[in-house]
Amino acid sequence: MAFPWLTTTILLPVAAALLLPIIPDKGGKTVRWYSLTVGLVNFAILIYAFYTQYDFSQPGLQLVESYTWIDQLDLKWSVGVDGLSMPLVLLTGFITTLATLAAWPVTLKPKLFYFLLLCMYGGQIAVFAVQDMLLFFLVWELELIPVYLLLSIWGGKRRLYAATKFILYTAGGSLFILLASLTMAFYGDTVTFDMAALAAKPYGQTLQLFLYAGFFIAYAVKLPIFPLHTWLPDAHGEATAPVHMLLAGILLKMGGYALIRMNAGMLPDAHAVFAPVLVILGIVNIVYAALTSFAQRNLKRKIAYSSISHMGFVLIGIASFTDLGMSGAVLQMVSHGLIGASLFFLVGATYDRTHTLMLDEMGGVGQRMPRIFSMFTVCSLASLALPGMSGFVAELTIFLGFSTSDAYSLDFKVFVVILAAVGVILTPIYLLSMLREIFYGPENQELTSHEKLVDAEPREVFIIACLMLPILGIGLYPKSLTEIYDATTHSLTSRLRASVPTLVAQKEQSKSDALTAATAAIAPKLPTLTR
Amino acid sequence: MEPLYEYAWLIPVFPLLGATLVGLGLIAFNQQVNRLRQLNAVFILSTIGGSLVMAIALLWSQLQGHEAFLRSIEWASAGDFHLSMGYTIDHLSALMMVIVTTVAFLVMIYTDGYMSHDESYVRFYTYLSLFSSSMLGLVVSPNLVQIYIFWELVGMCSYLLIGFWYDRRPAADACQKAFVTNRVGDFGLLLGMLALYWCTGSFEFDIMGSRLTDLVESGALSAGFATLFAVLVFLGPVAKSAQFPLHVWLPDAMEGPTPISALIHAATMVAAGVFLIARMFPVFEDLPGVMNIIAWTGALTAFMGATIAITQNDIKKGLAYSTISQLGYMVMAMGVGAYGAGLFHLMTHAYFKAMLFLGSGSVIHGMEEVVGHTPVLAQDMRLMGGLRKYMPITSTTFLIGTLAICGIPPFAGFWSKDEILAQSFEANPALWFVGWLTAGITAFYMFRMYFSTFEGEFRGTDATIREQLLAAAEVPTTEVPAFGPGAMDPHELEHGHGDHHHSSEPHESPLTMTFPLMALAVPSVLIGLVGTPFNNIFEEFVHAPGEVVEAAEHGFDWAEFLIMGGSSVGIGLIGISLAILMYLQRKIDPGMIVEKIKTLYNFSLNKWYFDDLYDTAFVQGSRRLARQVMEVDFRIVDGAVNFTGFATLLSGESLKYFENGRAQFYALIVFGAVLGFVVVSGLTG
Repeated sequence: MAFPWLTTTILLPVAAALLLPIIPDKGGKTVRWYSLTVGLVNFAILIYAFYTQYDFSQPGLQLVESYTWIDQLDLKWSVGVDGLSMPLVLLTGFITTLATLAAWPVTLKPKLFYFLLLCMYGGQIAVFAVQDMLLFFLVWELELIPVYLLLSIWGGKRRLYAATKFILYTAGGSLFILLASLTMAFYGDTVTFDMAALAAKPYGQTLQLFLYAGFFIAYAVKLPIFPLHTWLPDAHGEATAPVHMLLAGILLKMGGYALIRMNAGMLPDAHAVFAPVLVILGIVNIVYAALTSFAQRNLKRKIAYSSISHMGFVLIGIASFTDLGMSGAVLQMVSHGLIGASLFFLVGATYDRTHTLMLDEMGGVGQRMPRIFSMFTVCSLASLALPGMSGFVAELTIFLGFSTSDAYSLDFKVFVVILAAVGVILTPIYLLSMLREIFYGPENQELTSHEKLVDAEPREVFIIACLMLPILGIGLYPKSLTEIYDATTHSLTSRLRASVPTLVAQKEQSKSDALTAATAAIAPKLPTLTR
Repeated sequence: MEPLYEYAWLIPVFPLLGATLVGLGLIAFNQQVNRLRQLNAVFILSTIGGSLVMAIALLWSQLQGHEAFLRSIEWASAGDFHLSMGYTIDHLSALMMVIVTTVAFLVMIYTDGYMSHDESYVRFYTYLSLFSSSMLGLVVSPNLVQIYIFWELVGMCSYLLIGFWYDRRPAADACQKAFVTNRVGDFGLLLGMLALYWCTGSFEFDIMGSRLTDLVESGALSAGFATLFAVLVFLGPVAKSAQFPLHVWLPDAMEGPTPISALIHAATMVAAGVFLIARMFPVFEDLPGVMNIIAWTGALTAFMGATIAITQNDIKKGLAYSTISQLGYMVMAMGVGAYGAGLFHLMTHAYFKAMLFLGSGSVIHGMEEVVGHTPVLAQDMRLMGGLRKYMPITSTTFLIGTLAICGIPPFAGFWSKDEILAQSFEANPALWFVGWLTAGITAFYMFRMYFSTFEGEFRGTDATIREQLLAAAEVPTTEVPAFGPGAMDPHELEHGHGDHHHSSEPHESPLTMTFPLMALAVPSVLIGLVGTPFNNIFEEFVHAPGEVVEAAEHGFDWAEFLIMGGSSVGIGLIGISLAILMYLQRKIDPGMIVEKIKTLYNFSLNKWYFDDLYDTAFVQGSRRLARQVMEVDFRIVDGAVNFTGFATLLSGESLKYFENGRAQFYALIVFGAVLGFVVVSGLTG
């Protein structure tokens, strides 16, 4: 048996976290270097493992490991990655490591803080890698605890409210995962939790719809989708910068990932029914959240709503039934993971200096903090999908994928594309007016009189530089990323397309057309042959 | 010759390299890099110089008849979808590259003088270089997606440069307005692009064009839809080239430093819209509906811009409206199918308008010595006058530019404008009439500008006018002090306010500023001669794809030329005479005329009330809508979900008393639900 790479990368941070309490430490300095090293080592292992073991051209699971855990329940520790999860696992390693670096100034209970960060590291990788339904539910749930603690101990003034809201929403959602997965497990002749086996079971149409709805509610909370999104602005409004990065960079992606993996991947027939709903909700997300973001006066809530708005594109991509759209959805998740993390990090950095999040109390701070100003500008431009950066490619592919989709009528497509494109106008409005209110204009004397506005330190520049590197890399040459998962999304899309009745009918039609065309092409030749 | 084409991608990459290196230096070693001011400038100038040399070599090779060159790589793919990016060198792109690189090169030389006191001198060069790179990338784009990419990038550079003096509130507002207005246009461009891809399956211009024509002819796609798609694409140029009704950003964009007004907002970026129409010609030309819309948009814009320019007192705003008007001519030319004429005007306009803007910058630079770094004063023509004495080079070159834009032969503008007017007369006399009338207004307002700036008595030291202007400027801006940080050096005011602008007369600008003026004067006079109607080299070289050049064969009609040319020169002279009477000899009092046509005057002064209308309808409207949505989100959506949660908790609390603990209760629910699901599915499935 091959070396258990994935298990190692899941367990290493957790094991390292368990060692934290016995590390002698004064003032949190050793602990942070220790955590950073663990993060880097784990990230290096991930890269090495994928570099040597992962084959881009294979659509299926790779680096698979499976160990029986509880035989009676057929519960297995089984992990593996395909093109869908592999980029997200890498993203997890990347963002979590950077979040550790971003947590440098944390002085309150540093040991506990880094302990939780490291636990999340392993847990997040596990969410993307496990291939067993029950296990998935367990890690999904376990994942909530560190976030809850990180919010409720290190958060802002209303941190308890935000943390409770977060746990209620997500735990409430998870209940539906449990329900749906148990149903799936016990359905039919065999009891199994293996995802591949579950996907192969022949569920009835109605049951599929119920299961789909159950999963959908859970993941709609996480992604988040309107109207289950209101926990996010609260959680973001109270979190500290590293937690922001994890929330925006990875946690939201868990929802999108699970939506593709379970709803689309396991219940394709129901997906064909639900897809228009997804598209509509996607539009609502884009436009509604963009408008709300425009009206927000609190910086963190503003960016939180911008996250919600961007996630709307993921929904449209998932429901497009085209290679392009699906590819764009994955790209948008990775891209937003990077851009969202960088924006939230900068919001945190700005807050560290101004000690206010209200836009009305800022203004003209660009003069004293030119570096933060320029980094903020670059990241905002990335977020508003400026070409040359990853967000643009993602949105463009989703637009192209959806508008060329043959699963929808022309009227519906026109309606959707126009409304989604309204988001393209709204995004710069709220992001640029945010920049204007923070950095532009004459200095706000009231603010500068009592706050020392120092410019970015090298650590902060370094973090943003690290995040910008892949953002620009993907933006300049998107194939570098899409190649990784193209095979997987392609096979997934063709499976999805097979369950859309109209598409199947079209295919039959075109086949028979081709047949008649072929015979027509052959027919004139016949006389020449006989002659 | 081949290596030249193989390495043509270096043309946009050179300035990008310059911008990247200096930009990284600025981020990493801010103070050290900022100290090496001219070293950085020379470095960036040499990168654009490299591009300039290559661009000229390519143009030469294209003039010799080298065939078009295309190279591309696969950029993105998913499943069966493939999208490639690359560069194409043909007649049009070779010409555009030379225009962009020459103007950019001269503007960069000029910048050294204009920005010499500015703290952010190096940053300005970085942005300029980044812009040049994006603009060059745009002109070599072989497909619509790539154009869209660079289209957005030049928009971003424009945003950064308009907001360059970010501590000035008007600049902050203007850069956002520019970006958002352009995004409205890009919204259309994006939709049009998607729609065209949906029906033709391609982003290549000629393939799109031919397939669309086939679809319309075969009836698979109604002409109405095809027209709609094309109009959506046209929205992009409407915003970028500041056409009615999305022109509102361009005058405000004058808040940026003058060199970029010359480079971006007169010569190159705003012309990108015309360039895109030219590239999209295969798609547009077979759709008469679109061509009509384009032509009339252009004509209306030309007229509107000119009528607003008459009453502007800010020299840069006046030139901005004149740019809008001239862009209108180009778009109108495209709309009537005068492909070559439109691009010819693009070229001549790029040179003479860049020169006019740089000239206005030189004037402002001189005025600042007298009135201080206050844009309200330094750019207002009511304080100028008599500058010819003090600034001979600036005034001479400005006069050349004025004559060129007024269409006086043999200056460049005459040939290109005459060509447009002649061809629009063939298409539709009504269009010609609008263009012809606009030519007269143009002559009037340009000479009004020239006379008020350079002739008469110098009024810069007149304290009463100054106070009036300051008072007028203070009314709309309540919280900004009128003596905001000034144009040249925002931080100068902090130490020693008013120390050194007590000089009572302006001086001619340094050589780095006057040299580009003189250099640009040459093409402003002579470049028109390549497109004379009797020997039109230009149109032989640049003509619509698929169009056979017939101009050469069908002979030259002197009578027609004299009538058309004579009438446009005639109305130009009328405009000039009127300006002489009113602003040079002061025989007619402008104030009296204003009194007589107060409504019209106010209509023009208030820019046809577009800003007020948009502010009420869109800015306030969208804010109100956003606030309402936020209220809904906070009170209803959040409230409802919270309430549901609360209700569940309550019921959970009450149910607790019936059970011996919550855990069992939940387990029971789960079990029951699972059972229910299985039963239901067993029954139905």
